[in-house]
Amino acid sequence: MKLHEKLLTHYLSCTSPVDKEGYLYKKKERNATYQRRWFVLKANLLFYQERPGDRHLLGVIVLEGCAVRGSESDGQFAFSLVFEGPGLKTYRFAAGDGPTQESWVKALLSASHCYLSLLVRDLGRQYEEAKQQQGPGESRHSSSVSALKQSTNFFPVQGRTAVVREGRSFSACTVLQAPSTTTKVVAKKSPKLWPRRNAHVTPLNGPAPLYGEWPLVGFDPLEDFSKLHDYYGQEVKKAREEWLRSRRVEEEHSDGHLIDLG
Amino acid sequence: MRFNEKELMSLSRQPSEMAAELGMRGPKKGDVVKKRLVKLVVNFLFYFRTDEEEPIGALLLEQCRVEKEDSQSFSIAFLDEAERKYLFECDSEEQCGEWVDSIIKASYEFMRKNLIFYRTEIHRLTGKDPLEQYGISDETRFQVNNGQQFTTRDTSSL
Repeated sequence: MKLHEKLLTHYLSCTSPVDKEGYLYKKKERNATYQRRWFVLKANLLFYQERPGDRHLLGVIVLEGCAVRGSESDGQFAFSLVFEGPGLKTYRFAAGDGPTQESWVKALLSASHCYLSLLVRDLGRQYEEAKQQQGPGESRHSSSVSALKQSTNFFPVQGRTAVVREGRSFSACTVLQAPSTTTKVVAKKSPKLWPRRNAHVTPLNGPAPLYGEWPLVGFDPLEDFSKLHDYYGQEVKKAREEWLRSRRVEEEHSDGHLIDLG
Repeated sequence: MRFNEKELMSLSRQPSEMAAELGMRGPKKGDVVKKRLVKLVVNFLFYFRTDEEEPIGALLLEQCRVEKEDSQSFSIAFLDEAERKYLFECDSEEQCGEWVDSIIKASYEFMRKNLIFYRTEIHRLTGKDPLEQYGISDETRFQVNNGQQFTTRDTSSL
C-alpha cells in the first residue's frame, strides 16, 4: 500500500505546532536492544528520526487502534504501544526517567483521532447544555457533569444502525476517564495556561454543527455515553492497575490520589 | 520512511459510513479517471481497486483543500499546490456534498479547533474547564493558545 509520505512530512513541517517531542529509546524488534530516537508527536502520528533537525525521517507510527501500556517487564520507564489484532505489532519504548515516561504515556493516550472525536462530541453536548442553562441559576452548570452520567440518550442515531467496532479499537478511547497518573497534575492546578473569559476564540469555520450532525467517521459510538463509560470502566480499571504496578515502588504515596471507579 | 503498514491496512478495514465507488483521477498530467472504492477512515482517505481487499494507497487529510469542482465532483489539493489536485466524481450532487463535508470534518486539525472552541465556551459559560474531569487539561494538544508555546521547527530541509 502506498502511503503518500510527502503529505505526512508536509503536515509535520507546516506551521501548526507539534504536540510533543523528545528523546525516547525504541526497542528493536529483532535483537531487543534499545536505540535512542527523537520522536515527534503530531495529531495521531508519531514520527521518529535519529536527532532533532535531521533531514531524514526514519519512520512514522499511525496511532489508531492501539493501546498504551506500562511494561514493567521491559525495564525501567518502559511503555508500549500495542496494536491489537492478528499479526499486528507492539512497539516498545523506554524513557530516560519517570516524569518523561508519564508525560509521553499521557500524550499518547489522548492522541488518537478516535479519542479526539469522542471528546469533541462530548464537549459539544456539554456546550449545548451550558448554553441552555445559562439563563436560570448558576448552580445548574455544575450538574452538567453528573447529567453526563445519568441521562440516557446522548447521540441520536441518524436513521442508520449503529456499527459497533471491535473492543480493541476502543482502547485509547477508554481513558476518557482520568487515570490515576494524571490526578496529581490536575488536583492543585488551575488552568493557568489559558486566559479566563476569553470569548474570542473561534474555530476556523465557525462553531461546529450540533453533535448529531457530525459525520460518523470510522465508527459509530454507542448511544449512551454513560453506558460506554461503565462498560469500558472495567478495562480502564485493569489498565490502571497494570500501570500502577509498573511504577516505581517509591511512589506508593500516589495511592492517595486514586480515583475510585467503584 | 518506515510506517506501520499492517496496522494501517487494518485501519482501512474498519467500518466507515463514507465508503463508495467514485471516479478518481490523480494529480499528475496524463492521469485519467479510474473507478475506485474510496473510503474515509479517521483522517485518512483510502482508495482500493473495486475488487481488492487491500488499499492501493492512503492519503492523509490534513493541510488540504477540498472543493466542489462542479455539481457532482470535488477535488482535494495537497501540499499547497493548488493546481495539483485529486479529482473525485460522484453519482449525485448530494453525495458530492456529503463527501466534501465529511472530509473537511475528518481532519484532526479541524476537530482540534472545535474542541478548543467548546472548551473555551464551556469555561466562559460555566466557569469550569471541561477537560479537568478527564485529567487532560494540561495536554498541549488541547491548549487554547497552542501556537504560542512552541518554537518554530526548522524543517525546511525535510
